[in-house]
Amino acid sequence: MGALGPKPRIGVIKMASCDGCQLTLLDLEDELLELTERFQIVEFAEASSSRSTGPFDICLVEGSISTPEQAEQIQELRRQSKLLVTIGACATAGGIQALRNWQDHDEVRAAVYAHPEFIESLATATPIRDHVAVDAELRGCPIDAGQLVELLTALNIGRRPWLPDEAVCMECKRRGTVCVMVSGRGACLGPLTQTGCTALCPAYDRGCFACFGPRENANAASLTCWLVGGGAAPADVGRLFAGFTAYAEPFRSLVTELGATPGATNGTGSAGIVGAPSIRSGARIAGCMREPGD
Amino acid sequence: MLSLHAASSPAFFLARADLGRLLDLLREDGRRLIGPTVRDDAIVCDEIRGVADLPAGRGDRQAPGRYALTERADERLFDFVVGPTSWKRFTYPPRVPIGRARREGGAVSFGPPETDAPLLAFIGVRACELAALGVQDRVLLGGPYTDEDYRARRQTAIVVAVQCATAAPTCFCTSMDSGPEVRGGHDLALTELDAGFILESGSPTGTALLERLPVTAATVDQAVAAAQQTAAVRARIGDPLPTAGLHDRLLAKLDSPRWAEVAERCLSCANCTLVCPTCFCSSIERVGDLDGRDAESRRIWDSCFNPGFAKVAGGNFRARVQDRYRQWLTHKFATWWDQFGSSGCVGCGRCITWCPVGIDVREELLAIAPAVPAPPLPAAVEDVPVVPQEYVPTRVVDKRQETGDTWTLTLAGLDDVHAAGRPGQFLMVALPAFPPAAISVSRYLPPDGVCLTIRSAGPATTALVGLEPGAEVGIRGPVGVGWPVDVAAGRDIVVVTGGSGLAPLRPLIDAVLADRARFGEFHLYYGARTAADMLFRDELEAWAARDDLDLVCRWLPGRGASVTTSGGAARSTVSAIHQATWDGSNAVAFVCGPERMMEATATALAGKAITPDRVYVTMERHMECGIGLCGHCQMGRFFVCKDGPVFQLSHLGDTFGREGI
Repeated sequence: MGALGPKPRIGVIKMASCDGCQLTLLDLEDELLELTERFQIVEFAEASSSRSTGPFDICLVEGSISTPEQAEQIQELRRQSKLLVTIGACATAGGIQALRNWQDHDEVRAAVYAHPEFIESLATATPIRDHVAVDAELRGCPIDAGQLVELLTALNIGRRPWLPDEAVCMECKRRGTVCVMVSGRGACLGPLTQTGCTALCPAYDRGCFACFGPRENANAASLTCWLVGGGAAPADVGRLFAGFTAYAEPFRSLVTELGATPGATNGTGSAGIVGAPSIRSGARIAGCMREPGD
Repeated sequence: MLSLHAASSPAFFLARADLGRLLDLLREDGRRLIGPTVRDDAIVCDEIRGVADLPAGRGDRQAPGRYALTERADERLFDFVVGPTSWKRFTYPPRVPIGRARREGGAVSFGPPETDAPLLAFIGVRACELAALGVQDRVLLGGPYTDEDYRARRQTAIVVAVQCATAAPTCFCTSMDSGPEVRGGHDLALTELDAGFILESGSPTGTALLERLPVTAATVDQAVAAAQQTAAVRARIGDPLPTAGLHDRLLAKLDSPRWAEVAERCLSCANCTLVCPTCFCSSIERVGDLDGRDAESRRIWDSCFNPGFAKVAGGNFRARVQDRYRQWLTHKFATWWDQFGSSGCVGCGRCITWCPVGIDVREELLAIAPAVPAPPLPAAVEDVPVVPQEYVPTRVVDKRQETGDTWTLTLAGLDDVHAAGRPGQFLMVALPAFPPAAISVSRYLPPDGVCLTIRSAGPATTALVGLEPGAEVGIRGPVGVGWPVDVAAGRDIVVVTGGSGLAPLRPLIDAVLADRARFGEFHLYYGARTAADMLFRDELEAWAARDDLDLVCRWLPGRGASVTTSGGAARSTVSAIHQATWDGSNAVAFVCGPERMMEATATALAGKAITPDRVYVTMERHMECGIGLCGHCQMGRFFVCKDGPVFQLSHLGDTFGREGI
């Protein structure tokens, strides 16, 4: 980074996604004009009818690889891009559409589309990094505007972007939010999840659902033990992991291990663990670590 | 056991209905009241408007990983224990501006932040929390460098303490000798009885408040009821964590298998450190414009559990969760004593309640076993002059390339304080919008210049080596403990280093050569990957030509060597020491290099009769502040920036060369 020259060329391109992440760029109302003085946005279908197929100094890629066409397109984009940055849960983890990776492709297609024969899609939806080398990731569903500005500022100055791999708990505690899980208001994936979202959900009285995906050392097995030890059904814990970043490890393995495979009916069917775990003095979970296949 | 702890200061009675008068008095000078109040199904500390915001009739139930509000049958206001918020939120806030920086062309400037510390009054501070405020005072105000934002908030705050009337299973203040009785650090102390409050003053401010309140002298019955209430709390807590010998017990168990076991449960989410009322680790966040011209620095809460906390260019000193858990627990309960003269834990139990998976530090500590004495403490850290904490713009006047990735910048125009460093000390060097880098001084150029030899290892150091003569950088320092040159007077000297490690040693070599007759034999061992990776090659040639300096250089074969040496290209400096014929029984050694290399060197030196009390090494760690306030560079009982980077090897004990410290 830092060697991009004056007015680097930016491309904003989508794969399989909802466009919400690229719209975050358009939503930067205070910074957008300044950004266009420092960068040339040469490809951004959501914003301009003027198009480019490259080359790009910075390519912001949204969405997962879900069709054969996209699998080819991403290879060409990599060739055209000095820096390839993936943005959002779909691009970095596969997204919600990756839940089909556990299911029969033909059945899913038939269930969704009236004429599945017109749909050419891959059996799996996968993150960009499974296909090409990625230089930086902005996580989240959608990405955080502050992190996007930080990334572009760092690229402009030539320093390292500050995208810390900390737990959501860090921002919860800095904000002064009371832990939703310890205070019995529901399960929360914040301790396993990379921060960057400003700990939004817990501040509005609901647990984190890991849209920024698992962080380094995400100890999902320990949290699973704790929740199961507190009385939750294993499949319901597994269903917590089966969200926007389900296809990222270690969530991916636990979804399967805990019997929360998407499409199957199992567990209590609750949408999450919302009941307050009871206080159990001296509750211990050591020894509850699951053996694989247990 | 019943003790009338109130006996030392007269006790007064304030009727329940008159508590509001106290709060009104506190607010007279525009002071904000911070006290317990119910939010998000918990009793938190936050701004309150009056008595109505206090948690009347509410209590709490706590257990490892569990917290619940309860309803009480009475209207008591303080009958619960500590909640998730500690007072550090108000004395040491999670995010505060600490400075502004500007870069215009080649010039840089650094200024103070735009802040006004609020006037605060704390209502309902418990004994363990008073102890915690005392702990943070020692850390942030007790040393030569201080946190001025903390000082402003802390010293103006009025503290109204409250005696605990109940205890949770997570409480262990009795074990940590911090409670439950309020013993000091307060302006007023309240004991809540059904009818009202027993008030005792702890300061002239408290006495002045008492004089303006409608109080009566407490009756003997009231004083006894108050003392009995607190005594019952002590009895209820018991002594859940026997601490006799804990410091030594813990430091003797750095290899316990329990660290790996607890790491299987630990989420490394950092909640324990953030709810802890004494944890002070911080980082600097920089927020600025798109071009890096203007940047504001903010001190933000960080944690030794975060993956980046101990990272340096090229690696992470505490990559594993077990390393981080061990760092936290050994610091809190052992090395804190060595650094600050008290425990870092006050027994409030927050880390137990607010651990999302209910890890109980008491259980972990008790599982870690028997006593073996810890290594000796340094007699006294060298008296190092204190320099201004502000960054000072300083001009680059010369630049010279040393190797493929390393340059030497010469700075000039330093004032007496900044130019008067010692060999082995370093400067914190900052460009606006970049994190500062700790750079050893590689030569002093009296009266007003220094050389900094910088390897381009990341964006910040790359930006520094990209500066051209005429540009400015911000400097703070010199700081840190340097090489004790005087210790070597009348003795032989052995210097062992490799690669860029020669830079911090050059001022030592300069000092010895400038006063050569003061010292005995001088052996200098210098290794590098290839000859092209050697620093200061002109000088190496000149040193090699001297007959009062024995220079041995080692590099891997493959590249042309221009350095005349007594050894040539073969093996390592370590094997050269093994093969040497000199006797080190009167020698002092100075060593700089990667920890593994220094370990091997120390073994080789021991073979030459140079014992660890005559070996000085320089340690590398992540440095963020450079003045012992942010916690990043902690290594066992030391902050490397403040207590080092140069250490006598015998003082490092078994933390030296150990993974994950």
